[in-house]
Amino acid sequence: MKKRHFQALLLLLVLSIVLAACGSSATTNTQKISPPKETNSSEPQSENQVSESFQVDLSKVPERAQQRTDTIIVGLTNPSGAFTPYFTQVGYDGNVNSVLYTPLVRVDPNGVPEPALAEKWEISEDQLTYTFYLREGLKYSDGSPMTTEDVAFTWTLLHDPSYDGLNDVVETKIKGGQAYKEGKADSIEGIQIIDERTISVTLESTNATALTVLGGPILSKAYYGKDYKFGNLDYIKNLHANPITNGPYKLEKFIPGQEVRFVANEHYIFGKPKTEYFIYKTTEGDTWQFIETGETDYGSFSATKDNIEKLESLGFLNLIPNTASNYGYNMFNLEKEHLQDKRVRQALTYGLDRQLIYVESRQGAARLANIPSSPILWSYTEEDINPYPYDPEKAKALLDEAGWVVGADGIREKDGKKLEIHYLGSKNANTDIFIAVAKENYEALGIKFTPEQFPDFNTLVSKVDSGDFDMASFSTTIISDPSQGVSSFVKGETKGYSNPRLDELYEQGLATSDIEERKKIYHEMFKILNDELPVMFTTYTKSIIAINGRIDGFELNPLAGIAYSLPNWELK
Amino acid sequence: MRTYLLRRCLYMLLILFGASILIFFLYSLTPGDYVDNNLNLSDQRKAELREIYGLNKPILERYVIWISNIFQGDFGYSLAQQRPVLDLFQDYIWNSFLLASAATFFTWFFAVIIGVLTAYKQYSLFDTLVMIGIFAAMSIPSFFIGLFLIKLFAVDLKLLPPGGMITTGSRAEGWEYIKDVLHHMILPVAVMVLLGVGSLTRYFRSNMLEVIRQDYVRTARAKGLKERTVLYRHALKNAMLPAITLIGFELPGLFGGSIIIEKIFNWPGIGQLYMSSFTVRDYPLLMGFTMFIAILTVLGTLLSDILYHASDPRVKL
Amino acid sequence: MQLSITTTVNKISKARSAPEASTSLFRQSIRQLRKNKLAVAGFVFILFMFLICFIGPLFSPYADGKINPAQMHQPPSAEHWLGTDLLGRDVLTRLLQAGRISLTVGLASMALSMTIGTLLGITSGYYRGFIDQLIMRIADLLFTIPSLPLLFIMGALMSEWKVPTDYRLYIVMIMLSLIGWPGVARLVRSQMLTLREREYMLAADVLGLRDRRKLFGHLLPNVFPLLIVIGTLSTGGAILSESVLSFFGLGVMPPTPTWGNMIDAANNVIDFEKRPWLWIPPGLAIFLTVIAINIFGDGLRDILDPKQNTSR
Repeated sequence: MKKRHFQALLLLLVLSIVLAACGSSATTNTQKISPPKETNSSEPQSENQVSESFQVDLSKVPERAQQRTDTIIVGLTNPSGAFTPYFTQVGYDGNVNSVLYTPLVRVDPNGVPEPALAEKWEISEDQLTYTFYLREGLKYSDGSPMTTEDVAFTWTLLHDPSYDGLNDVVETKIKGGQAYKEGKADSIEGIQIIDERTISVTLESTNATALTVLGGPILSKAYYGKDYKFGNLDYIKNLHANPITNGPYKLEKFIPGQEVRFVANEHYIFGKPKTEYFIYKTTEGDTWQFIETGETDYGSFSATKDNIEKLESLGFLNLIPNTASNYGYNMFNLEKEHLQDKRVRQALTYGLDRQLIYVESRQGAARLANIPSSPILWSYTEEDINPYPYDPEKAKALLDEAGWVVGADGIREKDGKKLEIHYLGSKNANTDIFIAVAKENYEALGIKFTPEQFPDFNTLVSKVDSGDFDMASFSTTIISDPSQGVSSFVKGETKGYSNPRLDELYEQGLATSDIEERKKIYHEMFKILNDELPVMFTTYTKSIIAINGRIDGFELNPLAGIAYSLPNWELK
Repeated sequence: MRTYLLRRCLYMLLILFGASILIFFLYSLTPGDYVDNNLNLSDQRKAELREIYGLNKPILERYVIWISNIFQGDFGYSLAQQRPVLDLFQDYIWNSFLLASAATFFTWFFAVIIGVLTAYKQYSLFDTLVMIGIFAAMSIPSFFIGLFLIKLFAVDLKLLPPGGMITTGSRAEGWEYIKDVLHHMILPVAVMVLLGVGSLTRYFRSNMLEVIRQDYVRTARAKGLKERTVLYRHALKNAMLPAITLIGFELPGLFGGSIIIEKIFNWPGIGQLYMSSFTVRDYPLLMGFTMFIAILTVLGTLLSDILYHASDPRVKL
Repeated sequence: MQLSITTTVNKISKARSAPEASTSLFRQSIRQLRKNKLAVAGFVFILFMFLICFIGPLFSPYADGKINPAQMHQPPSAEHWLGTDLLGRDVLTRLLQAGRISLTVGLASMALSMTIGTLLGITSGYYRGFIDQLIMRIADLLFTIPSLPLLFIMGALMSEWKVPTDYRLYIVMIMLSLIGWPGVARLVRSQMLTLREREYMLAADVLGLRDRRKLFGHLLPNVFPLLIVIGTLSTGGAILSESVLSFFGLGVMPPTPTWGNMIDAANNVIDFEKRPWLWIPPGLAIFLTVIAINIFGDGLRDILDPKQNTSR
């Protein structure tokens, strides 16, 4: 019966998540300046945070969770089993790898790099040479020592021409890296091993993100380099199942589609983690039933009023509000003539009730965005930034000014062409809301709004690539350095948009590591972007982290995930 | 019989060949490819990656490479999972098979019983209630029923586990392990049965109603046979006949996995693996799996036809 | 006392209390009436559903579907008889408007796939031989087509060809019916395989009846009960599969409601628990439609079936 097969196609919402490699991300601050305080607490405390009177009640902990004494369980969408850093294709494997591996340089909750496996580092005067000093006594999970040989090996391996992974090491432009990749040299010139705990690397140009990119996880040369032949990395696939690691936990067992089981690593340089066993449980659908029944100890939920109410009613969970480090935006097709006029783009923004779409309809689970930087980053500012409140009259005035006059059928026209917005979105509840509201808003302005929805992200991307659209919704990946938030607006990355001043500022922002200077630079960039609106900035999503009240030691770090404080988690 | 089988095998090969072409081209033409997953890649990097994966070769060449590998039994490597496709099948398909076989067994079991009873007691209160129940099950999408049952049995009553195949972190072995899995199977199988039993019951009931009115049933009754014998020995056997063909069609379903059920209950089956692979366009896995199901489908049809002939000799092959 | 065979048989039959053996005229008439009434009742209900869905919204003050932020997620009240949804729109009005699409889509696609499937199934099952093999093997081939890529490609093509989004749903359903006939065809065919070997068919052969007479006069009525079953099942299935298509963006565009996408929108634990007025109405609507079609079909079958009308 084909009809039954048909019903079997019915899916629960598969969120189109842009692949985000979790784990260490790039930051640019040096250790010379004290970390900037989180000064911009423009975070309105009132709406949609946890209510004042909420108290954790440990007596309500479900039985299943109560009985566990040495295991902590966290849900994870779907790790695939490729547990080798740099070689994962699925974003969730990155979560697993951040538990298995500790990088050389970590990032603290403010985005400032701090020493991890490297005890310190030095940057040369010309900002081109980085020297890393490894801690003493570093070991891999099989007991073998970790040395700078492994570091050199890892950096070199990533330059192999057949490397198909997602990583930026090659982008840091190590001296001699390109030559190695092309096979002209058999080692990379810029990498110099000074002794077994000291290594230096020289770049071709300054790059403020290089510190954390190069300071990522380090693979064991003895294990991962044994069968290495230039140009062939297939053998790595066979090593995924039995990784040799150096992080707080070792891989105990992987049950595909169900669990990833970890056991504490006694060789861990910072001492054995407080809880013996840790499990990532695969949870594809709703996570409510797992946390309600105590199957898992941790969950992240969208910060809607509904969710908060329900979480509070459960009683035994500690609730920690969290704002994402990325931002959502509506992309404009700047190759289309009518969108090349800044006034039209501004009109589209003024004329859209963003507060209703992104905040009220989501019951407060997001904040409106007007610049490409999340409030949790040190670069955030609201000074001199236009918040574009919903103002249909202003929008109409701008359109009139730009020469788009309302025609006989109610649609604006100019030079015989009608003002039409062809919108592309993927299929999910938020897009449904957007389309419903935008249709009303834009029709009131005299704009013909033609929406289309696509079944999944890939389809959307390929349609956008074809150029047949005016507006499309996307969101960025995790941003830990403000340069990442603006990189798509410079150097011609956005087709049809070019602002030489922005290009200049971008280079300046990467050339220095002084935070105060960089703040000024980025603030200027944000002002320009906020005025010119090459894209319409939309949201920063808010979520609530719910963690079993029995667990102590959790520290929120949206940029580095739970692995940041995991070794300190213990069950009361 | 032998010539028939030979002919059918020949047709099967032809169909599979045709299917392979259809399958390959359908997946290749689906908008977006594996490299499109990541917005952050520069155009140059995208080109490099396509080169590495062989995605930039002409489509006919890619087809030939793929199909010749399949003939040698090599289903390729999954792009996202980075393991051989056949290994992945091993890991996930048996889990789906477990659910599907239990569900199919119980669905048929209940469908036969209820179908016979309601046909026998047509128009009675029992019949009406059952019919209403069946229609209710048919009108609500499966995820709703799943949601409801999970809420009721797992969260509120705490009688059954909320999902997964085993209790998280359990190190049970042997018999304990089997008990754990069975315990976790109860809800998903219950939902699958609830959803599937309706149509099958209606089918059996309809057949049964037909058969009960036949003359030979009246004769049997007139002969003085016990009602039970009449029902089960004479009526049921004949009512079941057309249903025999359905068994063959269940074959691909046994291994195909159920996307929705597996997602709701977090069951590590091939259905949800297929869905997540589709979202990222992991071609080797997608095509390998679809090809596998195609083979089972064609085999299933053959099985059905043979079984039908075996059970009702009046039907010529 | 005269014991005729008939009375003996009757007595025994009565003693067995088999359903059709009740002889009382009263009972028989009730049964007759009831069968016809069923058919009529079912038909009337479906008609009623159509009317209320197409005409009902015209009487509603909320027919324009405007978004009303002040009234989000309100439970049923005097102003909104079935409450409001997450954008403040009236649920009752949307329910009726949704019915227009769901009913049309459900019935039309069922009719289409049933027609094609039945015709092909009967042809295949009756004529056997080469035609049978041809049709069945094509059916096999169609069965192996993976639906997901096909749907996605259809979506992309329609986007390429700039098909207006309102029509996409219908095009997709037509396409799906064209591909969905194998299921029906197979079932019909297997029914045919048995039926054509029956004695009365042999008799018809001997009588020299033409093929068409045999097919439509004898075989088709006996296949009818099966068709009823398939028909009702596939209508419910079609209405729900429309929500699958919506899920993939191949259905209607927001804010257009369908019963399927209304249920979909409430598919999360919180709405499920707290706001039953969002999903109970569309669920009930589908339920009632399916029941109505079934009752109608059952009644129709009972009228057409010669055996059932025979009085004892």
